[in-house]
Amino acid sequence: MSLLAEKDVKYLEELFGKELENKVKLIFFHDDDCEYCELEGQLLDEVQALSDKILVERYHKDSEKGREYNVEFAPALIITLEDGKDRGVRFYGVPSGHEFGTLIQDIVLFGKNAKPQLSQETIDKLNQLDKPVKISVFVTPTCPYCPKAALTAHNMALASDKVTAEVVEAGEFFDLSDQFGVSSVPHIAINRDPEKFFIGAYPEPQFLQQVLDLSE
Amino acid sequence: MGLFDIGSMSSDVKEYYDFVIIGGGPAGLTAAIYARRAGLTALVVEKALEGGAVTQTHMVENWPGEKSIEGQALGQKFADHAKHFGAEIHYAFAQKVTIDGDYKVVELDDGHSVRCKVLIVATGTQPRKLGVPGETEFRGKGITYCAACDGYLFKDKDVVVIGGGDSACDESHFLAKVVNSITMVQNLPYLTAAKILQERILNDPKITVITNHVVKEIRGTSKVEEVVIIDNTTKEEKVIKTDGVFIYVGLSPMTEVVKGLVEMNQNGYVITNENMETNVPGIYAVGDIRIKGLRQIVTAAADGAIAAEHAARKYF
Repeated sequence: MSLLAEKDVKYLEELFGKELENKVKLIFFHDDDCEYCELEGQLLDEVQALSDKILVERYHKDSEKGREYNVEFAPALIITLEDGKDRGVRFYGVPSGHEFGTLIQDIVLFGKNAKPQLSQETIDKLNQLDKPVKISVFVTPTCPYCPKAALTAHNMALASDKVTAEVVEAGEFFDLSDQFGVSSVPHIAINRDPEKFFIGAYPEPQFLQQVLDLSE
Repeated sequence: MGLFDIGSMSSDVKEYYDFVIIGGGPAGLTAAIYARRAGLTALVVEKALEGGAVTQTHMVENWPGEKSIEGQALGQKFADHAKHFGAEIHYAFAQKVTIDGDYKVVELDDGHSVRCKVLIVATGTQPRKLGVPGETEFRGKGITYCAACDGYLFKDKDVVVIGGGDSACDESHFLAKVVNSITMVQNLPYLTAAKILQERILNDPKITVITNHVVKEIRGTSKVEEVVIIDNTTKEEKVIKTDGVFIYVGLSPMTEVVKGLVEMNQNGYVITNENMETNVPGIYAVGDIRIKGLRQIVTAAADGAIAAEHAARKYF
């Protein structure tokens, strides 16, 4: 049985046909002992079939590729242009529920040559960063505010080589979420420091300010 | 909600619309439907999810024509309806409104700026804070205001729900499917939710209701561990051990974007006339943010219709 509803398939085929100007690569990493990897694998089969501009590659987490992309957990999904260069945009856990919408928007972003959809002011400030910043956005599939935070973070990764942004499905990575004290999402941790976090989907300027303040 | 919800793409923003509507809930989307049917262009600016806060409601059972429908599904229907008539939805926070002669200019957090002749403010409400010690400190460390978002993070745990109104009861009913136990704490001697919602709570073996107690403090170390409550009658203190606290003690209006621009009452609700006009010509307020007797989906939708119809006649 297919995961995507027939009407959604039609909508997405049209959307991608209209919006994607270049090819987008989805690099998927699975593991042997992984409850949701098969589900994400099937989802990606269906997403790939939506447009010939969407390329999907699949690897084991512990493969050469996994090391190259520094993949820590599975399922992982890294989104890149056709060249496969890591732009710091990834998901840990299945992008399901509202987060599927985030994946769709990510694909469209990359399909327009990965140009970040942020204000010029935000882009300028991110380009002044002098050290790497890792943004971890903990989400749940049922959280309506999470896609805004996830997309803002992913856009920030596209705006600056210094920024990487991972969206982590809190329910799938319970131990990690627990370690970061996640109890309300979106929970945004900076540089994988459990002490440095903020909660909520902030408007872009305030989101940026939190990221800059916490990464000092 | 579907296993894979495609959401929808943000519309590209043009420089001018006849109507800009801030807030994509039932009030804003209904205004958009009426504006479009009057042949006018309409942009809805939504910060999170089309459909608004309705989409976080577990079940809606008082929207005529739908005996029982998930909030998420109803919100989606409203949005689909507005888009069907050509309303555009852009996902952003509206940060600031300025007046430029007969036009209003709305600045968005993504750098866009949109002009319009008619501005409809439909920003709705957000959960009200309880205002007790520990609430700010433990926000995101066990305290939450969104069962739909965070319920699953408390799987098999023991939680406290504070409040006794419709939201508190409906969300407890939803949470009971996920958590191990719920203790509801209500300050009044009785629950204030609709009778049908109360019955569900009182019949659920996982839910214990404590009425006539106020919350004094929420305590913990690195995260929430206990809630201290006081009996209103005996003044006796009790401590409830807990893994999490869900707060549903009412709502407060989100009027930040028009603060200082339109008249509000002391609680921050916008003052309008019967046509939903604020004191500023061309700016309307609809839905839960205005002073009104009943804040429901059906009254929000009515506000949206009244405002859009009035504005279409008056300004175009």
